[in-house]
Amino acid sequence: MNRRELLRLVTMATGSVLIGSELLLSGCNTTDSNTAFASLTAEEIAFLDEVGETILPATASPGAKAAEVGKFINVMIRDCYETDDQQTFQKGIKELDLACKKMQGKTFLEATAQQREQFLIALDKEAKDYSKKKTLFDNEQGKLYTQAQEKGDLQFKKERMQPHYFTMMKQLVMIGFFTSKTGATQALRHVAVPGRYDGAMEYKKGDKAWSSK
Amino acid sequence: MADNVYDAIVVGSGISGGWAAKELTEKGLKVLLLERGRNVEHVKDYVNANKEVWEFEHRTNRPTVQMLKDYPVLRRDYVLNEANLDFWAKDSESPYTETKPFAWFRGYQVGGRSLTWGRQSYRFNKWDFEANGKEGIGVDWPIRYNDLAPWYSYVEKFAGIQGSKEGLDVLPDGEFLPAMDMNIVEKDVAKRIKEKFEGKRHFFIGRSANITQPKPEQKRINCQYRDRCWRGCPYGAYFSTQSATLPAAMATGNLTLRPFAIVKQVLYDKNTKKATGVEILDAETNKTYEYKAKIIFLNASALNSTWVLMNSATGIWPDGLGSSSGELGHNVMDHHLNAGASGFVEGYEDKYIFGRRPTGIYVPRYRNIYDDKRDYVRGFGYQGSASREGWKHDVAELTIGGAFKDATCEAGSWKMGLSGFGEMLPYHENKVTLNKNKTDKWGLPVLDMDVEIKENERRMRKDMMNDAIEMLEAAGVKKIKPELDEKYQPGMGIHEMGTARMGRDPKTSVLNAHNQVWDAINVFVTDGAAMTSASCVNPSLTYMALTARAADYAVGELKKGNL
Repeated sequence: MNRRELLRLVTMATGSVLIGSELLLSGCNTTDSNTAFASLTAEEIAFLDEVGETILPATASPGAKAAEVGKFINVMIRDCYETDDQQTFQKGIKELDLACKKMQGKTFLEATAQQREQFLIALDKEAKDYSKKKTLFDNEQGKLYTQAQEKGDLQFKKERMQPHYFTMMKQLVMIGFFTSKTGATQALRHVAVPGRYDGAMEYKKGDKAWSSK
Repeated sequence: MADNVYDAIVVGSGISGGWAAKELTEKGLKVLLLERGRNVEHVKDYVNANKEVWEFEHRTNRPTVQMLKDYPVLRRDYVLNEANLDFWAKDSESPYTETKPFAWFRGYQVGGRSLTWGRQSYRFNKWDFEANGKEGIGVDWPIRYNDLAPWYSYVEKFAGIQGSKEGLDVLPDGEFLPAMDMNIVEKDVAKRIKEKFEGKRHFFIGRSANITQPKPEQKRINCQYRDRCWRGCPYGAYFSTQSATLPAAMATGNLTLRPFAIVKQVLYDKNTKKATGVEILDAETNKTYEYKAKIIFLNASALNSTWVLMNSATGIWPDGLGSSSGELGHNVMDHHLNAGASGFVEGYEDKYIFGRRPTGIYVPRYRNIYDDKRDYVRGFGYQGSASREGWKHDVAELTIGGAFKDATCEAGSWKMGLSGFGEMLPYHENKVTLNKNKTDKWGLPVLDMDVEIKENERRMRKDMMNDAIEMLEAAGVKKIKPELDEKYQPGMGIHEMGTARMGRDPKTSVLNAHNQVWDAINVFVTDGAAMTSASCVNPSLTYMALTARAADYAVGELKKGNL
């Protein structure tokens, strides 16, 4: 593996790079603060399990709820998100519920599995459209930053457009699920100690991908 | 012998320090190995080596906000992560200042960065040693490839380097263990590049210090293809101080290892014009101690070995031992990177990869050699790999739900990437200096960094990107995404070099042809500081060879009574 590959930013079916990853790059206006946030409530965590289960439901393998993605999301929001993102996320839980009510006439928890899915498909589209705008905005800021650097203005900081809350949720659900023991060993294939290398092993459609190392 | 007197003192226990300790103890010298950080015991202290991804609180997915706050330097690149945070120096305890941006990623513990290194192991070629002299850049190396070739062989045999023999002048073959395999896509790409570029560009498995044949005499077994090297390897399958040189040195009974020893200065006697020992600060108790020895090896990593010299013999030379040439701290080099390209490979849907290979492929330099001539000097090599995407791949049409999940659980497309590592020239004005206005928690002055890449590197970087696109296109790769990241800062190659360079003349270099400080011939510097030029290949193997060569010379001279 190329040691630089770790840096490659992947979009993970959300049309957006990992939320917050742009903050790791130089020239970002970061607060490095997240002290205001203690924890999501038990209800919010349970709610996220349900959202997770709609995104990645139990099929032949267990789903997001069995992998307890809600708990993981709470840890990530608490430890890895900066204040702005924490607020966007937590408000997002309420916004999601309101949007569901508007579309389906029921809160998310009241809605049937089918209604939940329908609703999240629509919300995913909204989040992706929003992410496109954010990408344009970020690229523009990147250009301004480069121009400032070239002019010797080392103080220039990039402005940041808040990500869409559902982009955050979906990313965290996916990471939480596929890196959980349940997801890695039951939905994916996991081998702790391969012991050998085969660069041309047989694969057929439907075979599972490897888990993360 | 008093308990503070040794035959030799080695400062620093990373790749080159480990080698110095091994060579000197095996030749019968009583050696004190000093390390500024804590001890890390082989296997026992690799606390994350056997953890699965779900056993990490944040699944190694991203740094916490606290980590970002605590590590303002480390966060600038991929190195900040929870899987091996314990192997990186704390930024808060190791400040420095930046006249120009410089990323300094340090490993302050026994083993240094030998625990976390990328393990890529390449020989410099004959042109690398000649280029400075021929082009009038910097100073001429005082040695040639043939001087170092037997020492490359010597260290390769012990360290264990897997690789393929390619018979190329530009990247000399070594004493290789059986090569790791390229995957099916890489093999096809290699073939296409060979055809398309008429044998002028080469593409083969990256040579790395991961063993593919057991070394029972070193208690090391084969690489298990986990690709978790940088957390420490419980099998000792990659070369590190802990897996290889330290146990060999310990086995002689001649080694004393002393962690938490920050060397403040080399003690110098102006009458004999030699060093007499070192003064250390105990990092835990803040007490100072003196240790005496006949020879001193500085292997504290390039910039820290330079720092030690700058703080030594200042009564005679205000800018420190080795500064009489005016070159100490100057000519800082790194390898500039983050320029290349990647894309998707169509087909091969019926093939996948088993095992996680701890190396990629390598494309050795082809620019400015033979009849190639560019608008810059020197060249670059590529590292890269082909792999098949896992669960992070995009799924067409589907966005959530059972079908989306099941599709996500399958393997995605094949991808291929090439990322350049370019040679940086030695510029006198690229320098580190002591900043006496800022001190660390031990009250010691810190380094100030004043380093930048210049026109030659910037021109080269365009080629690094464009050539990668061209080669990927030739190999049939689609949806190619160029990479020319202006975020590169000197230091990000983690290949700091050049600040106490070797040379032929004490007026223009700090070290002679045997890595002796001109101004104190019993002080040897054999880490990256010694490098007269950078080549474009990963430098650690060259530090190993220079160290073994210098240690052999030092013991010979000691026996002759010349030191």
